[in-house]
Amino acid sequence: MRPERAPERGPSAARHDEAARPGQKRCRTVRLGRARVVHIDAAGRDELDPAPLERGAHDPRRVGRHGPRIERPGTADDLRHGRIRADDSRVRTLTSALAVVLALATSSTGHDGRGATAGPVPFDDAALPQHAADVVDYTLRASLDPTAHMVHGAGTIRWRNASTTAVHEIWLHLYLNAFKNDRSAFLRERVGGRGSQAPEDWGWIDLRTLALRDPGGRTIDLLGGIELRRPGDDDETDARVPLPRDVAPGQTVEIDVAFDDRMPAVVERTGYRGTFHMVGQWFPKVARLEPDGTWAHFPFHHLAEFYADFGTYDVTLDVPAGYIIGATGPTVDARTEGGRRIERHVQGDIHDFAWTAWDRWRASRERIDGVDVTVLAPPGFGDIAERDMAALRFALPYESAMYGRYPYPVLTVVHPQEDAGEAGGMEYPTLITSAGPWATPAGVFLPEIVTVHELGHQWFYGLVATNEAAWPVLDEGLNQFAEVDAMARWRGEGSAADVLGLRVSDAAIQAVSSNGAVHDEPVAQPAAAFSSGANYGRLVYSRTAAVLETLARVYGDDAVTGALGLYARRFRFEHPGPDQLIGVFAEVLGDRVAATLRAALFDRGWVDYVVESATSRRGTAAAGVFDESGKRETRPSRDETGWEGSVLVARRGTLELPVDIELSFEDGSARRERWDGEGSSTRIAWHGASALRGAVVDPDDRVMIDMNLENNHAGVEGRGGGAPLTLERATYWAQLALQAVSP
Amino acid sequence: MTSEQQDARARKHPLAILGVWTWETTLAWIASWPAVSLVRAAYGSHPRGDAPLWTPGAHALLDLLWRDMHGASATARGAAPVLVVAAIAGLVPMASLMVTMAGAGRTPGLVGSVAGGLRAFLAMALLLAIATAAEALALGAGAFAAYLAEAWTHAGLGEARAQQLGAAVALPFLVLVAAMGVTHDLARAAVVRRSAGGARALVAGAAAFRADPVSLGWSWAWRATASMAPVVLVGALADRLGGHGGATLVLLALLHQGVVFGRVALRASWLAVALRRLAPAHLDASAR
Repeated sequence: MRPERAPERGPSAARHDEAARPGQKRCRTVRLGRARVVHIDAAGRDELDPAPLERGAHDPRRVGRHGPRIERPGTADDLRHGRIRADDSRVRTLTSALAVVLALATSSTGHDGRGATAGPVPFDDAALPQHAADVVDYTLRASLDPTAHMVHGAGTIRWRNASTTAVHEIWLHLYLNAFKNDRSAFLRERVGGRGSQAPEDWGWIDLRTLALRDPGGRTIDLLGGIELRRPGDDDETDARVPLPRDVAPGQTVEIDVAFDDRMPAVVERTGYRGTFHMVGQWFPKVARLEPDGTWAHFPFHHLAEFYADFGTYDVTLDVPAGYIIGATGPTVDARTEGGRRIERHVQGDIHDFAWTAWDRWRASRERIDGVDVTVLAPPGFGDIAERDMAALRFALPYESAMYGRYPYPVLTVVHPQEDAGEAGGMEYPTLITSAGPWATPAGVFLPEIVTVHELGHQWFYGLVATNEAAWPVLDEGLNQFAEVDAMARWRGEGSAADVLGLRVSDAAIQAVSSNGAVHDEPVAQPAAAFSSGANYGRLVYSRTAAVLETLARVYGDDAVTGALGLYARRFRFEHPGPDQLIGVFAEVLGDRVAATLRAALFDRGWVDYVVESATSRRGTAAAGVFDESGKRETRPSRDETGWEGSVLVARRGTLELPVDIELSFEDGSARRERWDGEGSSTRIAWHGASALRGAVVDPDDRVMIDMNLENNHAGVEGRGGGAPLTLERATYWAQLALQAVSP
Repeated sequence: MTSEQQDARARKHPLAILGVWTWETTLAWIASWPAVSLVRAAYGSHPRGDAPLWTPGAHALLDLLWRDMHGASATARGAAPVLVVAAIAGLVPMASLMVTMAGAGRTPGLVGSVAGGLRAFLAMALLLAIATAAEALALGAGAFAAYLAEAWTHAGLGEARAQQLGAAVALPFLVLVAAMGVTHDLARAAVVRRSAGGARALVAGAAAFRADPVSLGWSWAWRATASMAPVVLVGALADRLGGHGGATLVLLALLHQGVVFGRVALRASWLAVALRRLAPAHLDASAR
């Protein structure tokens, strides 16, 4: 059973069946809170299943005859997605009045998440692996000189060959060299996206010591043989270090390191602004050695992120007294001596370490779901810090329930000022950076969305440690869906914004923003292969989220989130690839859905449902010459009572998804048909007591990746609903605008 | 206050207020028509009309805006000059309203009011130009002062505090702009009451403001605040009522128009205050 959605403020679902007396028609009334009633007459049926339907399941229950009705009972989920409406005119009048009263009685937007719980845990998290297999441990000491913006680091790297072959070299990521000059891969790749401006002040990492300790205790210098660059390439972020001897499978080596970092002016998630320092990708990081003995090394590409092995980080940070530190992992020792603040942070089962130090941080702390959470925010950002914390009150337990218990004892949220905004919106194990100005309006959920998004990365990238450079879809894409899902559970249909009567969902933004790039290039490809930062964002983030949201709406929330939860648990502390993800979806949802997912991510799969035509005419009796019972009879054409016609719906594109097709009639009734989406079109012939008004494909807006919503409907000529709501709203807004500029 | 001055009461002239509302509504329809046409072209044949566009979540709305981006931006650009022209032409109905309220017990009637408004148009237009320029200068000065304050203190106070300080520095300039607006309205009252030209009316308005700035400022401020509150409240209600036609739409329209009419009435109420402060010249003399 999946976790319950956090209840949306407003009507909640309740239902009851009125038991039928013998010989009497049986009615069901679905009461959706106090504001809506949809009356369904299931006359004549003996087997009524009272269980709420899963989203996407079709219930071919027969419609009744008491005025307008819909095919199946509504659920709170339908209400949340705006699929239920009171069709009965009398009910509309009553519910409209009640809605006014209700709206006056309730506050305008959502809530702070206190008391919203993630619900029952769908998996047995007690069986989850508790620890990663340690491959590389770092014991480091880092001293910050905030005036010179330097970090002096030293320590030991303990690395184990976890592959099946002996290696004679190691590769080190020296990511800070991306900001050393404009010949780095990062700055040469002018594809747009964040960090596209050269930093105002350059940054780099200089190795001072790199020495292999041999078993006898001697050290062998490795720095002399290091290969910082490739021939013809000035990039220095991907260094090859030949070893004096092979390292056999399972063998461990220890390497002494000393290095100097010059932090750049804040760019691409790291750097300084005044005395603020966000220190990310600051140490020589050993590249991951794959089980087959190949090194997953790569320069720091403009659009790519990171990939490394799990291990334990024991880092002692040394900063001026008066500075507040936020860092990966819990503080195991802290003291002030000699005018310096010294903190030691130790955390296992992680693959990166970042930290911040600033003399102006304001810290707020809270224990959420057994985790010690700290939010570091600038002065004057108190309200924003509380919003970040409120987001975590909901999202931390929710995502633990969805994807496996958050295994670390601490979480630190760093919320930088806008002038250091390049440091915002990033994830590291147990430390995330949020974003949003101090004056972000209450109904614009930017800080909340960023916080929830970066928290989600603790699973998709942190615990499920995929190769972000090769398959960004597996961290950013999956996590974008996790964000959309969490925000929907928390804020309902206004999950991105809820301002002055307009509610915009995160899911809608992702769906629409991805449309522009669908045909350009595949979603599932290496980050460096994308043609632009814009396409990278639209496809990796938005398209993936929209595809998964579509699958959830079509095939069921439980199934898709369950598949993702299974994937996250099965590959916890591991390094899966896209085949593992597809495999889990096949296991949970079947081969057809897995094939759809693969096509959408790998093959630029797309779909556009179109209602090509909707016709309606008076029913006619059979006319012509008939031979029956030995007699020949000529019957003239004549109208019968009743109406008939057809609706033609086409599917364009390469993806096949089942959809509902709703026929709306002049008498206010509606009828739904289900199409499995196979083939290029389907024609629905209909007969009924009333003329057809029009038809809509996917009336519940399940196929979020439908390329064009404007062709999802067709009206019978001369019929249709017009644009009364837009006329009313546009007139009102124009009146307000006129009053603002008028004398 | 003389009885003639006491006659300047907005509540005594509901039809005149309705007339101004009618003018604004008509222009708003004209300005919004291209947008409505765009929507009708896309969703007019939908069995539920444009209701999907206003369903919570805004998927259909965002899809329409993205797909018809050029049309939507052209629509917005087309509406802007309509609003600007309407703002200038709106001097006539406003002046007509003031003429009606200043009728000294003899309501001039529709023709008389409009004729009075037309006579006052040139003077009103001159005042509008002068006031707009002065307010723009004050706003610009305030924005610059706020920018300097923020820039000078950013390093020392941090971003949020520096921006808050900048807003505090800008506040007096906003008060100055509000005072200019009050003086502008008093000058308009002088045009109506005393048949003054633009310059003389401005002098009279400034004198009236100087004589009692606190009371006049408060009288304007509470009405301005009261006119904003319903906008926010009804906006919050709109989404709960939105996405539906029929009776719900009628209810929403009534609420919206109630807000608009209320704002017109509050504006008329304030202009009546201005009229009461600017006695006709002969009454000023006799009152002394």
